[in-house]
Amino acid sequence: MTGSPRTPRPRTRRAGVLRPVAGVVAGLAMVGAALTACGGGDSNEAGTKEFLIGFQGPLSGENQQLGINAYNGVLTAVDLANRTGGLPFTLRIVASDDQGVPEQGPTAAQKLIDNPDVVAVVGPVFSAPTKASEPLYSQTGLLSVSPSATAPALTDLGFTSFYRVIAPDTVQGAGAAEYLAKVVKAKRVYSLDDRSEYGTGLSGAVERGLKQAGVAYTHDGINPTKDYTSQATKIMADGADAVYYSGYYSDFALLTKALRSKGYDGAILSGDGSNDDQYIRQAGAANAEGTLITCPCSDANTDPAATGFVSEYKKVNSGLKPGTYSGEAYDATNAIISVLRKLGTGASRESVLADFGSVDFPGVTKRIRFERNGDVQGSTVYVYQVKDGQRVVLGPVSSLVKP
Amino acid sequence: MGSAEQISQLTIDGLMVGALYAVIALGYTLVYGVLQLINFAHSEVFMLGAFGGLFASRALVPAGATPSGLTSAGLVLFGLVAGALAGAAAAYALERCAYRPLRRRGAPRLAYLISAIGASLFAFNLAGKEFGRQSIPVPDLFTNGTVVTVLGAEISTQSLVIACTALAMLLAVDHLVAGTRLGQSVRAVAQDAECAGLMGVDVQKVIVVTFVLGGLLAGAGGFLYAMTFNASYTMGFVPGIKAFTAAVLGGIGNVRGAVLGGLLLGLVESFGGYLFDASYKNVIAFTVLVLVLLVRPSGLLGTRLGRPA
Repeated sequence: MTGSPRTPRPRTRRAGVLRPVAGVVAGLAMVGAALTACGGGDSNEAGTKEFLIGFQGPLSGENQQLGINAYNGVLTAVDLANRTGGLPFTLRIVASDDQGVPEQGPTAAQKLIDNPDVVAVVGPVFSAPTKASEPLYSQTGLLSVSPSATAPALTDLGFTSFYRVIAPDTVQGAGAAEYLAKVVKAKRVYSLDDRSEYGTGLSGAVERGLKQAGVAYTHDGINPTKDYTSQATKIMADGADAVYYSGYYSDFALLTKALRSKGYDGAILSGDGSNDDQYIRQAGAANAEGTLITCPCSDANTDPAATGFVSEYKKVNSGLKPGTYSGEAYDATNAIISVLRKLGTGASRESVLADFGSVDFPGVTKRIRFERNGDVQGSTVYVYQVKDGQRVVLGPVSSLVKP
Repeated sequence: MGSAEQISQLTIDGLMVGALYAVIALGYTLVYGVLQLINFAHSEVFMLGAFGGLFASRALVPAGATPSGLTSAGLVLFGLVAGALAGAAAAYALERCAYRPLRRRGAPRLAYLISAIGASLFAFNLAGKEFGRQSIPVPDLFTNGTVVTVLGAEISTQSLVIACTALAMLLAVDHLVAGTRLGQSVRAVAQDAECAGLMGVDVQKVIVVTFVLGGLLAGAGGFLYAMTFNASYTMGFVPGIKAFTAAVLGGIGNVRGAVLGGLLLGLVESFGGYLFDASYKNVIAFTVLVLVLLVRPSGLLGTRLGRPA
């Protein structure tokens, strides 16, 4: 027999098909673990009404950290409400892992929808699974409040049960563009996205802002990969003096590494999807040094108004500090709890959804009030920078651009 | 940036990734030469090697410190050796648990394939469980900067380390297979296992040596790969498929073919990714593979293979 490669080729593909299946299996195992973890917190006293709050987000996979940050925020809010809220019912969380990918979104959503005790959902965390899951939530009339899905289009797609407590990327993109134009003083920006729902939304918003500010830019997209070498060469050849990456931290870390190893000396920026300490860890502190991150979120750890939240969070999550989206998830959960409190033990999916639009209370990240389309009102864009291996808040764009 | 500089830069990038593909491809090609069997769990050997090197270097380098000079060279070498040993151990275990029992019972070829896929799923899920599902970076073992400039293209310390190590390993394997007694027995088994056995070659030993050799290379290659692209439990899949492609492109079963195939694949990806779009990289690479196989079905340097062990 000759070494004909025809026989092995289909085998290659078969191995490829099997792998995602294994991923799902692993993911389900994770959800199971998460469920058992939070199952311990509920007080099952006889006669006490119990409401379930669903959580949908990535609890496994490459970008799981952002999902875990949010989950811990939900956990903090629920734990606090059960202990000190004086509620006529108890609350419990049901977590559903969507791995942050759109393919898993509907399955994860369906799992929560099929549980009749779930009265509202915090999540989905990422934009692409949100787009894939919301038709199901809308159809059932189950409220879902995303702490972090920032793709602008999400509130224009006619979803009837979708709210978010974070500003859409139109707001972040405009802020990032203003910062690039006035503070970085970039002459030419290389706007790169990861081709995801979130990435394209953000890069589009950044580019619109750059156009208005009269800054030249090159648009490009790259699906997440490990090897950003040729992409880095392309960026160098473009002559841009700033790169803005619209995507998530694990990819931004590798892009930063590739740019640094090519000796790129322009400014390197990214958005809220990269706003996590994992970025610094994975890129290496030396490579990440000086890179900038924009986020329509402040840092609870340095915000004096959020000290109560931070200490509560640490207490509930065995000493962990709040991460990106933890505060937003805490606010989203508290918004849901405030409606439940008003409705009392008679609350249902319908009544929770009907009353949610009129929520108005001071959250730890911002005042939580909604537009008719489900967007949160107003929001400030903050700029973070990696200094000495730490993410530090430089301040809101509006004050940074002042001469 | 001028175009000559561009071409030079892309060539260097391509050769760098290509050298890594070649190092992994050798494992596929060696095993195929001897057993006429595609070892689909080889990508997991690569991944486990990367973690071996990663944990070994993490144990020696304190967080935040960047060693320099001779310490760096020693640490890189240490990481490589640790990676290679972890890879070799994984490959040995794989042969022992997933293949040998089947061969003893004269199982059909398809059974090996299932066994390999099973071993692969087992290994990377276990790694995901044990090492976490986040990407983990290799600590900085040296200060990465531009060392030399070739035709305007900057070559970083890291690229140089990868290139030199890969080259040394490729030369060593080539010498081993072509010029030593052990290599002679490997070649004899590849040509005709039954005859080689009758002539007094210990076929079982040759098979183990082949797996271990492939494991050493893949493990060290995994460590080199992780220095640039970080280590994660799923890191083996794509480079594994690419290296397999490189082995087929060069002519599976042929050691020099695997090297040629790896370098060529790296270059095609580098230029393809630049000229068209980075996302088309794989499309272009596999189009080239199909085209080459249409013209030369046995690969670039492929020849007829003998009777399998």
